Amino acid sequence: MTDKHMQLLRLMHLVSPSLPTGAYAYSQGLEWAIADGWIQDGPSLRVWLADLLQHTVAYVDIPLLSRMHAACRYRNDTALAIWCNQLLALRETHELRLEEKTRGRAMLKLLEGLHVQLSITMQTIIADSQLAGYAMAAAHWNIELCDAATGYVWSWLENQVLTGIKTIPLGQTEGHQMLHSLGPDVIDAVAHGLRLHDDSIGASSPALAIASSCHETQYTRLYRS
Amino acid sequence: MTITDRQQAAGMMPLSEPPSSPQGWLARLELSFAERDALTYLRTNRHTGPLRLQRVLYPESAVCHACILHPPGGVVGGDRLEIHTAVEASASALITTPGATKFYRSGGAPAVQENYLEVQEEASLEWLPQESIVYPGAVTTVSTRVNLAKGACFMGWEILCVGLPACGQPFATGTLRNTLDIRRAGRPLFADRLRLTDADDRHRPTGLRGHSVSAIFIATGCKPDMLTPLRQLFTIIPNTLTGITLMDDLLVARYLGECSSEAKTLFQALWTWLRPYLSGRTACPPRIWAT
Repeated sequence: MTDKHMQLLRLMHLVSPSLPTGAYAYSQGLEWAIADGWIQDGPSLRVWLADLLQHTVAYVDIPLLSRMHAACRYRNDTALAIWCNQLLALRETHELRLEEKTRGRAMLKLLEGLHVQLSITMQTIIADSQLAGYAMAAAHWNIELCDAATGYVWSWLENQVLTGIKTIPLGQTEGHQMLHSLGPDVIDAVAHGLRLHDDSIGASSPALAIASSCHETQYTRLYRS
Repeated sequence: MTITDRQQAAGMMPLSEPPSSPQGWLARLELSFAERDALTYLRTNRHTGPLRLQRVLYPESAVCHACILHPPGGVVGGDRLEIHTAVEASASALITTPGATKFYRSGGAPAVQENYLEVQEEASLEWLPQESIVYPGAVTTVSTRVNLAKGACFMGWEILCVGLPACGQPFATGTLRNTLDIRRAGRPLFADRLRLTDADDRHRPTGLRGHSVSAIFIATGCKPDMLTPLRQLFTIIPNTLTGITLMDDLLVARYLGECSSEAKTLFQALWTWLRPYLSGRTACPPRIWAT
């Protein structure tokens, strides 16, 4: 088995829905958007997700993952802390920040369980950001940045579509057709996000932020964001 | 640039060529506020170009109210406005504008406004400008950077109206980049970067959802038990979207709708409710808001 295969194996592990970081428990405002009727079916969910890929994932998650991945490779605690703070400032609501932190703590526990050596500073940062934890794991297992970014977006998208399947609800096949058809959007978001300069990082999604704010007081809810 | 040109740019008269300031009209205003014997006074007031402090008022003893005026009444392609404000340690300032800031249609050159707001230890800034109206065809870049020292207090809002919905002129052409960056002790606290660079951007389902007015209200020093009463004040209005969230002590309220005065009324209610808790003072709305 070559190094390349081992990296692939590690990546599949890292993006597995069974990873104990609880990604499935968060809808990121989607549960409210569905409850309020913004999203009623497959096509409206697809438009919502394509928009997030193009305008938020490409401008926030991917460029910051790229910078965090480099900071982890070179064990640059200071740089990792700067990008982690920037990421949290760009998460628009209480629930989105809480999700980032809660999943970060779970990621830290997993990395420790897998015997990844981390400085105290690195541990503190990862406990604040799942994205930093993901970047650390990818750097530790020598997963190339573009592969790591593609895997990250895939697992995010899979989770959002699963939320749609359960909540709208949609048929399993329709959900998987959507995942399949959004492939080019994922590739574009990753390519765009990896090319961004520092001063272009950041997004504004007021409707997403309002959906997520309203979710805080949603009467019946299954998801934590 | 004459008044007539600007009236034309405002769509009040037919127009062949959009106006612009080829050399760029730089306007810069530098203000600082300082505290002495529990009172705030204006320490610095320097300007170049058409941007100035209209007046300072003391309708309440401890807070200096300042009104910033852009005499041309509108911003055209090539113009550049810079506002640098420092509220020094323990001082309290409230800044507003006498009317909407209008960004007119551009022939291509961007109009730029940059606001740099610095709030030092134990100082307080209320940044409450009236709305910005971005005309169809405008090419506009606005950035607001707030630097808070430890223990500094900030309340502010930004009311952005894209297009002229009341005149049936949506923001179908033109671009807008609007950045809001808030830092505390050098660390990013909140960042928002709106880009409307394509006609479809206004309709993004997670963005403006086709609304013309996007507004944000921000306050530091807030607590979780304030959320329920504030949410009750932030009443639900048909065809508008509103939401309030609290991240540590940073309260962020958002409005998406069609009417900037509606957003202002809602935000003013939040501001009125919060002020006694955050600064120990009852709200004292600048009289200019009523005119």
